[in-house]
Amino acid sequence: MGSRASTLLREEEIEEIKKETGFSHSQITRLYSRFTSLDKGENGTLSREDFQRIPELAINPLGDRIINAFFPDGEDQVNFRGFMRTLAHFRPVEDNEKNKNLSNTEPLNSRTNKLHFAFQLYDLDRDDKISRDELLQVLRMMVGVNISDEQLGSIADRTIQEADTNGDGCISFTEFIKVLEKVDVEQKMSIRFLH
Amino acid sequence: MAGLGSVCSRRLAGFVSLLLLVFVAVISASPDAATGANETLRRPSGHSLDDSHHPRNSSEHRKAFPVLAFNYEHVSKPFVISLWILLALLMKLGFHIIPRVSHIVPESCLLIFVGLLVGGVIKAMDQTPPVLDTKLFFLYLLPPIILDAGYFLPIRPFTENMGTILVFAVVGTLWNAFFIGGMMFAVCQIEAAQVGHVDLLSCLLFGSIISAVDPVAVLAVFEEIHINELLHILVFGESLLNDAVTVVLYHLFEEFAHEGTVTVGDALLGVVSFFVVSVGGVMVGVIYGVLGAFTSRFTSHSRVIEPLFVFLYSYMAYLSAEVFHLSGIMSLIACGVIMRPYVEANISHKSYTTIKYFLKMWSSVSETLIFIFLGVSTVEGPHNWNWIFVIFTLILCLLSRVLGVVGLTFIINKFRIIKLTKKDQFIVAYGGLRGAIAFSLGFLLTDTEKKDMFLTAIITVIFFTVFVQGMTIRPLVELLAVKKKKESKASINEEIHTQFLDHLLTGIEDICGHYGHHHWKDKLNRFNRTYVKKWLIAGDRSSEPQLISFYNKMEMKEAMMLVESGSAAKLPSLASAASLQNAQQRAPPKQRAIPSISKTREQEIRKILRANLQKTRQRLRSYSRHDLFSDPFEDSMSEIRFRKQRVQMERRMSHYLTVPANRQETPSARKVWFEPEHKVYTYDESESPRDGAALETLPDTVSLLSESPQRPDQSSRLRKRGDAEQSANAPDSQEEPQKLSRCFSDPGPKEEEEEEGEG
Repeated sequence: MGSRASTLLREEEIEEIKKETGFSHSQITRLYSRFTSLDKGENGTLSREDFQRIPELAINPLGDRIINAFFPDGEDQVNFRGFMRTLAHFRPVEDNEKNKNLSNTEPLNSRTNKLHFAFQLYDLDRDDKISRDELLQVLRMMVGVNISDEQLGSIADRTIQEADTNGDGCISFTEFIKVLEKVDVEQKMSIRFLH
Repeated sequence: MAGLGSVCSRRLAGFVSLLLLVFVAVISASPDAATGANETLRRPSGHSLDDSHHPRNSSEHRKAFPVLAFNYEHVSKPFVISLWILLALLMKLGFHIIPRVSHIVPESCLLIFVGLLVGGVIKAMDQTPPVLDTKLFFLYLLPPIILDAGYFLPIRPFTENMGTILVFAVVGTLWNAFFIGGMMFAVCQIEAAQVGHVDLLSCLLFGSIISAVDPVAVLAVFEEIHINELLHILVFGESLLNDAVTVVLYHLFEEFAHEGTVTVGDALLGVVSFFVVSVGGVMVGVIYGVLGAFTSRFTSHSRVIEPLFVFLYSYMAYLSAEVFHLSGIMSLIACGVIMRPYVEANISHKSYTTIKYFLKMWSSVSETLIFIFLGVSTVEGPHNWNWIFVIFTLILCLLSRVLGVVGLTFIINKFRIIKLTKKDQFIVAYGGLRGAIAFSLGFLLTDTEKKDMFLTAIITVIFFTVFVQGMTIRPLVELLAVKKKKESKASINEEIHTQFLDHLLTGIEDICGHYGHHHWKDKLNRFNRTYVKKWLIAGDRSSEPQLISFYNKMEMKEAMMLVESGSAAKLPSLASAASLQNAQQRAPPKQRAIPSISKTREQEIRKILRANLQKTRQRLRSYSRHDLFSDPFEDSMSEIRFRKQRVQMERRMSHYLTVPANRQETPSARKVWFEPEHKVYTYDESESPRDGAALETLPDTVSLLSESPQRPDQSSRLRKRGDAEQSANAPDSQEEPQKLSRCFSDPGPKEEEEEEGEG
């Protein structure tokens, strides 16, 4: 796996990905080997079926949504760049990151971007608001089938009521951020990619 | 201002006089106990009712029947014990009356000081004060504190930082023990110290005793400074988990201090013993925890003894572990942690409250007694003050702690997502307090000549850490602007989003092929849900998702808060719209003449509410041990408030009554009561929240129905609608009562409007 994989991934590509996502060299190579092991068709891209082949994702209540998050709008295939771009959101936040601000844009793994990623998993229609229906769908996925609609509805209503500050009956991104201000998102949404 | 001052001084005066009274009682009781014992020894027949101090009364002539007699030694032991406890608690009370002192000086210091005073007084009267007997400490005083800590241990931060905590506990304590022991041996070689007779093994033994961070002291000090959760759990977790290391090291060196030498084989055995002690302790705790949880499944018919099961199983876990020389503390913690989620799902609310209060009460008393006895034992001695030994011990303790923390953090930070900053390291190092465990272990030593010297040094270190570090840690925390604990209300948003993120992270980890923290946690949760919960939780609660229980708890808590306060205006909860919207959109409810409820009706309502409230559990996150978060639950059961609330409700209510048929309906119950001041959302579905669960309040519902002749037409309309909305899985046998109960619950908004003509 090792030698064949690394010859397919050129050095320039690794450098570009490094600059864009902030992963280290070894992390990128390691994730590339994971990428190729998932890529059964060996065409350099992953399709939805490749993701669905992962057994644990099938039992994950949010499995489908997570898979969808990897695919940019409308497309059915994701290449390695896209794969890494999505995973970059889960890199731990480093303090010295703030100092070397190479570009003007925020790094992909900043707190805001992490929260935005999570927000988009709720907000399927991309209208920048989590409506009551979208919330209900997520609740239904997490809670299972035994709970009645009414009860879920009351939970959803309460959730919206707690978060909604401008009274529009939906949770906007700013309200979402505010609600989670006490949660340690930097830790919760980070994976320790071993070097 | 003057009035306040005079009130305070009056209270103070009254309090001080009471205190003096108790003081005198304690002091006179102790010698009385001694003389009383002597008296009984001299008079072997001592069961008479006669005055024990006047033996000459039993003379030849026939005594009159004693109307009033004085027989003290009969009750001397419990009497003295009770007096001591009373003294301890009065002291505690006193500290909080004097506001300024308790703000600067932590309670533990004050208690030690009081102990010193009492010890000094007793000694001045030439009596022997009671010492902190090791058996008393380890068997009676320590377990309640540890159980309280373990039962209310915040699981999430504990497991998230488990690696860090373990490294600090195991490696840190080992480092401390060997460093202090080794360096003290070097110090002892100094000619001027005149302690050349202390050999290496004794030094290592001493090092192992003094190296462990003490949970009691840490709890006592950290409770009051409200530091952020991460640091709290790091120091506290370390103090709990280092017990295994301490036990192994202590026994190892104790054994071999007599032998004189330690071979490599013995050292290896020591390592093996460490694993046995720690893992064995945890296993014992888990076994008893599971037993306790299983037992609680069947206690629905004898609720009164439920708390006892929790206490006894935990205590048995501790004692059983101690039998095998395993780590009793770890066993106790494991038992509490395992038992808690299942027990809480099974027991009644009152039992839960009882457990909570009793644990806090016992641990508070224990802690107070420990500190007082520490003070008394200090005065008692025996002491062997050796300047060099003590000074060097102190310096080395501090030095080794700092070095240990800094060094370990350097290594740990490579593996942590959130690194520990320098400020964090400082607090962790500074919070390494020693306490009564070190003292008791020292007391257990058998070799008398070194024992006195060791004890003196141990006491000095304890005093230094508790007084100096305890007093200065609060201003330091302020100075360094360390993050404090954020007081946050339980928020359903946080719960939902945290679970959401858990699932998300688990998924991402699976995609990366990275078997990390979330992966295993998810596996554990799934295992718990499919197998364990079915065995250990009674009834249908075994399949209730965590989110639902959380939500129910929150709703219940808020409802009780509202009932108590009597007004719904400010609270943002109880979103569910149906009744609120009903009330708003209907013709002004005030126009409807709501008849006043009859007395019997009121009784019924109260009974139903109480019955339902018993079914829910409270899961308060409770870190503080000295004051419980004010729990509206308990407060709100007073009848007067309830009556007031009823009157207010009558004025507002548009619907008459919502009878919760089962637990899951209680959200709708409260929705009816409160004034819909805030805008609320359209709610299309009807509000019929039942799932065919058992109707435990059946008799109540029926009786209520029979009592409502006033609105036959409304009820029948509701009943009709109730039929239509009946959920598919309602059991047939319960159809009728379900319909009845549904009559009283919220119907859906639209239909209500259509059908509701005139009140």
